Amino acid sequence: MYERTQSHISLRELDHESHQKIDRPYELLHVLEFSSSRRRMSVIVRNVENQLLLLSKGSDSVMLERLSKNSQDFVAVTMDHVKDALIEAAADEIERDLILLGATAVEDKLQIGVPECIEKLENAGIKIWVITGDKMETAINIGYACSLLREDMEQIVITLDSPEIIELEKKGDKEAVAKASRESVANQIRRGTLLLSSYEGRSVSPALIIDGKSLSFVLSQNLEGSFLHLAVSCASVICCRSTPKQKALVTRLVKKGTGRTTLAIGDGANDVGMLQEADIGVGISGVEGMQAAMSSDFAIAQFRFLERLLLVHGHWCYRRISMMVCYFFYKNIAFGFTLFWFEAYASFSGQPAYNDWYMSCYNVFFTSLPVIALGVFDQDVSPRLCLMNPELYKEGIQDILFSWPRILGWILNGIICSVVVFFFTTSSAVHQAFRGDGRVVDFEVLGVYMYSCVVWTVNCQMAISINYFTWMQHLVIWGSIAFWYAFLLIYGAFPPLFSTTAYQVFVEACGPSPFFWLGTMLVVVSCLLPYLLYRTVQTEFFPMPHDSIQKWQRETSDGRRGKLREKDTLLCK
Amino acid sequence: MEEGRSTASAIEADSVSLSQRRSNFIYQFTQQSLPACKPVLSPVWVVSVFFVVGVIFIPVGIGCLHASRSVVEIAYRYDVECIPAPFRGNKLAYIANDFIPKNCTKHLKVPRSMKAPIYVYYQLDNYYQNHRRYVKSRSDRQLLHGLEYPDIGLCTPEDVINGLPVVPCGLVAWSMFNDTFSFFRGVHELNVNRKNIAWKSDRDHKFGKHVFPFNFQNGSLIGGARLDPNIPLSDQEDLIVWMRTSALPSFRKLYGRIEEDLDADDTISVKLLNNYNTYSFSGSKKIVLSTSSWLGGHNNFLGIAYLSIGSSFIFVAFLFLMLHIQNPRSYVDTSNISWNWKHISD
Repeated sequence: MYERTQSHISLRELDHESHQKIDRPYELLHVLEFSSSRRRMSVIVRNVENQLLLLSKGSDSVMLERLSKNSQDFVAVTMDHVKDALIEAAADEIERDLILLGATAVEDKLQIGVPECIEKLENAGIKIWVITGDKMETAINIGYACSLLREDMEQIVITLDSPEIIELEKKGDKEAVAKASRESVANQIRRGTLLLSSYEGRSVSPALIIDGKSLSFVLSQNLEGSFLHLAVSCASVICCRSTPKQKALVTRLVKKGTGRTTLAIGDGANDVGMLQEADIGVGISGVEGMQAAMSSDFAIAQFRFLERLLLVHGHWCYRRISMMVCYFFYKNIAFGFTLFWFEAYASFSGQPAYNDWYMSCYNVFFTSLPVIALGVFDQDVSPRLCLMNPELYKEGIQDILFSWPRILGWILNGIICSVVVFFFTTSSAVHQAFRGDGRVVDFEVLGVYMYSCVVWTVNCQMAISINYFTWMQHLVIWGSIAFWYAFLLIYGAFPPLFSTTAYQVFVEACGPSPFFWLGTMLVVVSCLLPYLLYRTVQTEFFPMPHDSIQKWQRETSDGRRGKLREKDTLLCK
Repeated sequence: MEEGRSTASAIEADSVSLSQRRSNFIYQFTQQSLPACKPVLSPVWVVSVFFVVGVIFIPVGIGCLHASRSVVEIAYRYDVECIPAPFRGNKLAYIANDFIPKNCTKHLKVPRSMKAPIYVYYQLDNYYQNHRRYVKSRSDRQLLHGLEYPDIGLCTPEDVINGLPVVPCGLVAWSMFNDTFSFFRGVHELNVNRKNIAWKSDRDHKFGKHVFPFNFQNGSLIGGARLDPNIPLSDQEDLIVWMRTSALPSFRKLYGRIEEDLDADDTISVKLLNNYNTYSFSGSKKIVLSTSSWLGGHNNFLGIAYLSIGSSFIFVAFLFLMLHIQNPRSYVDTSNISWNWKHISD
């Protein structure tokens, strides 16, 4: 073959009649691609004489099955050529009289930091399974190397390499082999479960090791339930000799069977199925190419970076999101319920207590940026301490920060805030004058008064809830409050036909009134009092783990009380 | 930063250090390692914050309470008292009948000396000026532009009478308060200043200087006061005060100012015209005379609230102090930390 284009293949052939080399182009019509299940590949071509030819190549076992009855004559000769004995004889003649040069050994090292990472993750309450294509001995060695298996751990091995099964395989009876294999696997699982029950209460659970063949029987013959029950009770599980499909199936089994969150991490193309099946797929980019990284949710460069990804960023992310959702409910309830209480005093006619534009801009301008700052930047514990204390991660696993009591607590806080805001403002400004010049509180002034209290309260609530104050948090929190007043000034300067009830209300009515400012201060502090009490009591007498860590961090920081300057290094060393 | 450079290289080095600073900032921002303050609720902090707040609030509360108590207020409910005895049984008939004279004279005693200016308010209760239908029923454009502005659909039913548009239209204007008051100390009439009772922004920018009342209260149902058609709306201060709707069902509106001092134990006679109908919805009317302080009128709520909140803060501060002294916890002790994890490690 001397030329190949998209549509043509050109061969230089020896013509039978003229005994000369001639060039014959073949038009490529279709390619039947190679696949690992078919184990062959074919092309359909049209030659110069307009004949259609199918040319096929593949492994010998597969091709021999597909030969037609009348072309068996070459078979015997071809098989002879492929026979091991002849190859061995040829090799034997060549490989003689050698000169010894030396000995080599290949050490397939684990990446740096892998054992420490795995140990940290186990301390964080994460169960680790290894699903590999290597053979059992290699997998067990790797397990020892990265401290998944330890000397004092009992090993439960499920394998189909027993003599009886091998005997049956030699005989070739597929049905008998399948039946016996299933029996064997079920028995081994049962034995393993019995062994496990004798381990109840002891600190070190055994480890489970299962090979690919057994795994295929488990997954296809309804043994998943018992297998899963056995596997989740073991300290760690190693599946060796697994195919890529089995990797995905095992991941799915764990995900659906236990209902827990699964994370899969791998670096090769054979891990792609597993990465996509798991809830979170982490691809390690590098040595074996970019395929794992491209099909993953997160791509990291080395295995040990998983530690930081989970223990620092995972931990922060969980806290941030649960806090953000709770706070969102709180601030909207605090705002919305003041409208509701007002309706009770407006004979439920549907008259809103505030100007329309105030209400439209509430979630957009005056209370949105602090929430974003919380959801993106808040850090309860510094990264260094997150890594030093993997147990903090269990807060997320046990969903402590987003439990129903917490959510309802925040909702209650919102309702209490709205009650305090409404009733304090209306009781302080009933019908008497609110300024030295005898003017009384009307609808416009009460709206601004209540709304300012709400905006102050929810922003100050944010200020006392977050744990991490950079200039950005200061800017968005105090800036949102300042923006409310700026908005009021600007909106109030618009002609009265547009600004209706807000026309100059701040400049003329509210701003010069000491009552307005004193009332706001009272309402805000009163709203925050319940939460402050709760938080103080909780951190003091019922501290949660991150509270203790924070206090410990503060006590052992450099002498500056109340401030901690953190310039953490980028990666754990 | 090295010393002793030439200016050229100084500028170069400055720009380098500026980009270094900027990239340093970006580095810190993206690596989430900005310099930060991490407030922790330690006992010292808590106790001092609570204490400071309490210490600030209590004097403020005392100041507010003092201001409120220095205000002298006389409030008198007259809507029932001013109905002559024969009509007490059928108040509606009384108020609707134009031929029954509505004059009424009541006497108020001044409890403490009141310094000028003394503000005169009328107070209405159970009057929902904040009801949505009521609040909608006005036309701000018409108030500013008068008859030029024809679209007054929101003002129904008080928008057109006998085919002619009403200026000012709507229920809010139609229901304007029309009781009048005059005050006498002995035989001497106290001068009530009825100017400057509305907000300046309303007078200047919301009510037109060239808009005159037209076809007002001409229908079969009279809701309240009549307006002089020769005075432009921007000078009709009673209307402007009334049109600024109140927030709550019980409200006061400024009627005028008395510019003279009143001494303690003086008797003030109020000659009023009981025109306004609050009987059909069991509302009530009061006449209020009040001085004012820097904080405003008489309402002890703010002062009492400040005092209560301030004292509860101080109480909580002491409580915490006691509890902390009794039960000191050391936080450097790491075994304390591991203790806390037992309950989440299962």
